[in-house]
Amino acid sequence: MRGTPAAGAIPAAAWTATPERGSDGVIRAMIWIARRLGWRTAQVLLHPVTAYFLASSPRQQAVSRTYLGRALGRPAGLRDLWRLYFAFASTILDRVWLVPGETRGFTLEICGLEALRAIIAEGRGCLLFGAHFGSFEALRAVADAGSPVEVSVLMHEANARLKAIIDALGGPNRASAVIPLGEPDSMLRVREALEAGGLVGLLADRIPRGDRVRRVDFLGHPAPLPTGPHLLAEVLGAPVMLAFGVWRGPRRYEVRFEAFSPGGASPRAGREQAVSASVARYAARLEAMCREHPYNWFNFHNFWAEEP
Amino acid sequence: MTTQDATALQAQSADLFESEVARLIVGALSLEIPPEEIDPEAPLFGEGLGLDSIDALEMSLVISKTYGVQLRSDDERNHRIFASLRSLAGHIARQRAG
Repeated sequence: MRGTPAAGAIPAAAWTATPERGSDGVIRAMIWIARRLGWRTAQVLLHPVTAYFLASSPRQQAVSRTYLGRALGRPAGLRDLWRLYFAFASTILDRVWLVPGETRGFTLEICGLEALRAIIAEGRGCLLFGAHFGSFEALRAVADAGSPVEVSVLMHEANARLKAIIDALGGPNRASAVIPLGEPDSMLRVREALEAGGLVGLLADRIPRGDRVRRVDFLGHPAPLPTGPHLLAEVLGAPVMLAFGVWRGPRRYEVRFEAFSPGGASPRAGREQAVSASVARYAARLEAMCREHPYNWFNFHNFWAEEP
Repeated sequence: MTTQDATALQAQSADLFESEVARLIVGALSLEIPPEEIDPEAPLFGEGLGLDSIDALEMSLVISKTYGVQLRSDDERNHRIFASLRSLAGHIARQRAG
């Protein structure tokens, strides 16, 4: 019984059918082939898989074209769509190795790890804000391998469905580090993980089904972004770093950690403004990443979700 | 004082404590609903009052500050504790007494 949300809720239809949702079968088949025949053979199949993704998702194609046009600053052609879908298929294939932490054969360039280590050393824990951008698994592989502390990922059980298939590859260790969203005590878990000095990663660009949304400028048009992650950081006074696993080419990733907010207690009175400013800052950083690496954006729904 | 009187008194003080917790929550979360209009039996999360897990976090902070009672995620009774205003107030009262 809150007040009317400032921004309209996203229609449920915008959420159904992303390539991620519709292609469990294809992805399972890819995993099987990848495990049996290795990356080199599986990689050849990325072309037909990309063609399949493109052909089977006219609606996502249309929204991707809109996104690409805005990120590239020119009308997007089929070649641009192909690059986007190919990068997406590549990151899915690479999950097969990155999820269990098998980084042999991969080139992972890491930026900002020193800053992350410095925050970890403070023992206050740290929130890592990611996005549906590049590979969260590449990020996690680096964070897990280089981290002296527990790394958890906050995500929806429904979105975790696909991950569950792949997590099976990584053994029970990986699976246990997921903090499910949507439970009353989800954020209590986050607090406890941070209190133990841990890292908690989350994707800060996906709209929850609630009213914690703000429309902010993104690639020249107002887009609804969740305020929850920013409010969480404010309430807990937790430091935040941005984290991106940019796909740069076959088995090549640039994993980037960037300071975002130092944390610390904030007065309740100014929280609303602090959250707004934080969301806008996040959107600006995400926008810069999209312009720099336009084919790493894996939000296959109408991100701007124009109000009806 | 008869047993009936004692029971009535206890029920009355539970009611009072419930309204106190209701005021605390409404204040802490800046809810628009007046505290006295919260149905003590209605779910706090999802349908009902419509709170979410960030609200639960804020609630846990203010409850710990006010009553010294810690709400932890590993408490298996969380689903029952968070079920309604009545169950939450009851939990706080018991923890505080114990």
